[in-house]
Amino acid sequence: MNEQDGQLIPRRSDLLPATVSGTASPAGTPSSPEQPQLLFHPQMDIYETDDGLVLYADLPGVTLDGLELQVQDKKLTLFGRIRQTADEIVQVLHQEYQIGHFFRSFILSDDVDHDRIEARLANGVLRVSLPRAERAKPRRIEVAGN
Amino acid sequence: MAIFRWGQSWDPFHDLEQELDRLLQSVHQTFHMVRSARNFPQCNIIETPSAYIVTAQIPGVEARSIEVTISAGCLVLKGIRRPPEESREDSYRRRERFHGAWHRKISLPDRVDEDNMKADYSAGILRITLPRATPGRARQIAVNEGP
Repeated sequence: MNEQDGQLIPRRSDLLPATVSGTASPAGTPSSPEQPQLLFHPQMDIYETDDGLVLYADLPGVTLDGLELQVQDKKLTLFGRIRQTADEIVQVLHQEYQIGHFFRSFILSDDVDHDRIEARLANGVLRVSLPRAERAKPRRIEVAGN
Repeated sequence: MAIFRWGQSWDPFHDLEQELDRLLQSVHQTFHMVRSARNFPQCNIIETPSAYIVTAQIPGVEARSIEVTISAGCLVLKGIRRPPEESREDSYRRRERFHGAWHRKISLPDRVDEDNMKADYSAGILRITLPRATPGRARQIAVNEGP
């Protein structure tokens, strides 16, 4: 599996409001927490199991209706949309994280069985299992004697 | 260490960090990567007309496993985020997410109504609402003339 997001994120005008274009907000204006307009790479773990690969992505604040997961031409794309909060903010006292949508994409290797990909979202964590296609599993070949 | 101190506005490292964030924002790709090794969980504190609201990004834990305590003007958040049981140490191809015990201590900016504080956990975000304490009546203290 190769990560594909080393380049600039393509503009997805069908999904994102005009303010989100793969770049951050203009420098110098700290984005207030109620206006998500940034795009972040979710942090991810990928590990191997006997059946294939399992991917975990941290998507804090993303619920089921805001998540889009797509496989197209071997490319796995995830987009998590954050909903705005309605707090009336008098003052931001301390800010360690900024609020924004999540986007990341990968190129799947040929031995992933695209039809059996399964995904589950719980407590802001997405788990995607990418099972190996049957033919890609090691097969023992009986060697016959003469 | 407390991450927030009221009335101590001169904090060169905080300023520097913010400047750095601002710079890195313009280089979108590096922004998250460079700053990902920060505290877990990351917390924000906002002030609304009636309360202080602390939010923390803690994806992937159970609500009941989060320990929230408050004492002497300090809010303490504690918990553990465990890796999936099926994963083996040597089976990782990519490892960016934090796992292990975590602990944050936050000094509150003002007195809060501890009896009415409320914590909700949803979609990986812990949100603690701390209503502001109603200011107590000012008490007059008689000044006696010394001997």
